Amino acid sequence: MAALLKVDSLGISFGGLKAVDKFNVEIEKNELYGLIGPNGAGKTTVFNLLTGVYKPTNGQITLDGDNITGLDCEAINKKGIARTFQNIRLFSQLSVLDNVKVGLHNNHAYSTLDGIFRTPKFRKVEKQMDERALELLKVFELEGYCDYKASNLPYGQQRKLEIARALATEPKLLLLDEPAAGMNPNETEELMNTIRLVRDKFDMTILLIEHDMKLVSGICDRLTVLNFGQVLKQGLTQDVLHDPEVIKAYLGD
Amino acid sequence: MDKVNVEKQKIFRSNLITFGMVIAAYIVVEVMMKTGNITSLLKGLLVPLCIYSILAVSLNLVVGISGELSLGHAGFMCIGAFTSATWSMLMKSSSMPEGIRFFFAILIGAVSAAFFGFLIGIPVLRLKGDYLAIVTLAFGEIIKNLVNALYFGVDAKGPHFSLEDSMHLNMDGGTIIIKGAQGITGAPKNSNFTIGVILLLIALFIVLNLINSRTGRAIMAIRDNRIAAESVGLNITKYKLLAFTISAAIAGVGGVLYAHNLSSLQALPKNFGYNQSIMILVFVVMGGIGNIRGSVIAAVVLTLLPELLRGLSDYRMLIYAVVLIFMMLFTSAPAFMQYRERIMTALHGKNKGGKEMD
Repeated sequence: MAALLKVDSLGISFGGLKAVDKFNVEIEKNELYGLIGPNGAGKTTVFNLLTGVYKPTNGQITLDGDNITGLDCEAINKKGIARTFQNIRLFSQLSVLDNVKVGLHNNHAYSTLDGIFRTPKFRKVEKQMDERALELLKVFELEGYCDYKASNLPYGQQRKLEIARALATEPKLLLLDEPAAGMNPNETEELMNTIRLVRDKFDMTILLIEHDMKLVSGICDRLTVLNFGQVLKQGLTQDVLHDPEVIKAYLGD
Repeated sequence: MDKVNVEKQKIFRSNLITFGMVIAAYIVVEVMMKTGNITSLLKGLLVPLCIYSILAVSLNLVVGISGELSLGHAGFMCIGAFTSATWSMLMKSSSMPEGIRFFFAILIGAVSAAFFGFLIGIPVLRLKGDYLAIVTLAFGEIIKNLVNALYFGVDAKGPHFSLEDSMHLNMDGGTIIIKGAQGITGAPKNSNFTIGVILLLIALFIVLNLINSRTGRAIMAIRDNRIAAESVGLNITKYKLLAFTISAAIAGVGGVLYAHNLSSLQALPKNFGYNQSIMILVFVVMGGIGNIRGSVIAAVVLTLLPELLRGLSDYRMLIYAVVLIFMMLFTSAPAFMQYRERIMTALHGKNKGGKEMD
């Protein structure tokens, strides 16, 4: 089976600094893949390259057979990559429901004029959007909060809402940037279940960055360890985590 | 689904209140006019009240909903005013009925202001915050000064333009319509309170429905977090430009009303200069940024106030300033906003306690 995401010797330099160099990864469909590494290893830079925030200086990204190298954020999302952010980025003044409905924007369309004149099409599509958004919120047990302003949600729920919004764009690949950051052990446990649920329920392929080793060893099928912008180790989770070189990179000599 | 419907009804009711408020005010004023209980001072203010309300609604779309500080709105008003007045002057002697002529004047004013809004928006919307404010301010001034220097006339050979003086038009008979700093004299006085209110209602209808649709959500999402908006596949440029263009078109309609309310129209700093732009911004800020109903109320109160306080001569501006401070507190201070929220929930008889999470 061909890999869903295939990244081939991806690299970017800022001035003379090679932030990421010769990064390779192949992610199979329906896989839960982890990207780990010490601080400053270039993990978020890889995410920014995959989602089009940065244009790679070399290398190639292929998603489901499509070459998506060098496209911008909007186009890459339409091709099927959605993401969450390390520091939560919600539409803070909009309601929880509307946050998800913005995610549904491109797949449920009516024109601006339909919106202004409240045509039957507007009503029909809005109703579909409401139903779909509520379905998604239900998966994350957020449907009771749907009329809250997003910024008024508790931290853990904000993380979940971000995932729900990303899923609303109907991606093929979901990128989670440190989903467990700032969570206590209980919340992390709950999050692990949620991520598993997302994979199974939506048949989703997930690539995540994480520092919490309990979460990584708990749910990831395979891992890539990044150090100083280069791949240090790649393979099955347990093998990688027990590798002496990886332990050295994290703990030092 | 219940909660979603409750939210929808809330928005619907809120919009209904806004429309109801305008219609109620219209009926009251009409009754006062019929019974002769209206001063000539107030009568002269009726159309300006509509104009400023329309402008405040239009600017709120850019400042409040799209989140861009634009200081050039009087420029779009100027374009709407002059293009529509030119049309009316050209068609004045034709056999076209007055109503249809004015209808086209409104369309022409809106479309030409939208066109310039679109053109100016392309470079300007690449900027953010203060830079955007300064550049829009500059564009507003450029428009006003260009119109102030413009000579335009029509003869048998077609239209003639000049930025020098009327001699350079090289006219062969015909009529000169825009006479530079003297502007346009003799445009028909088609504006009246009823048309003003109808146009205000249309502006409100467009803006409120836009906000509560897919397009409005996208515009507000971009305002709240641009990077996240890109990551869910929104076309940033398209929606920013759309909001700016619609806003310019509505401001243009304000200009049409303005041009057809006076017998002489000049591009002076006090009409279309940055003072006017700032004044419109004051309405928006005082009414609450993003609060469409608030901008209408603020525009009405702040236009009426200086006139009604004329009798107090020296104390006039003092009271005006105090009112400004109180309005700002009422619409924007957190303590007042909570207080208002409490009153609203008490009125709706529903306990929504714990909605604000600390």
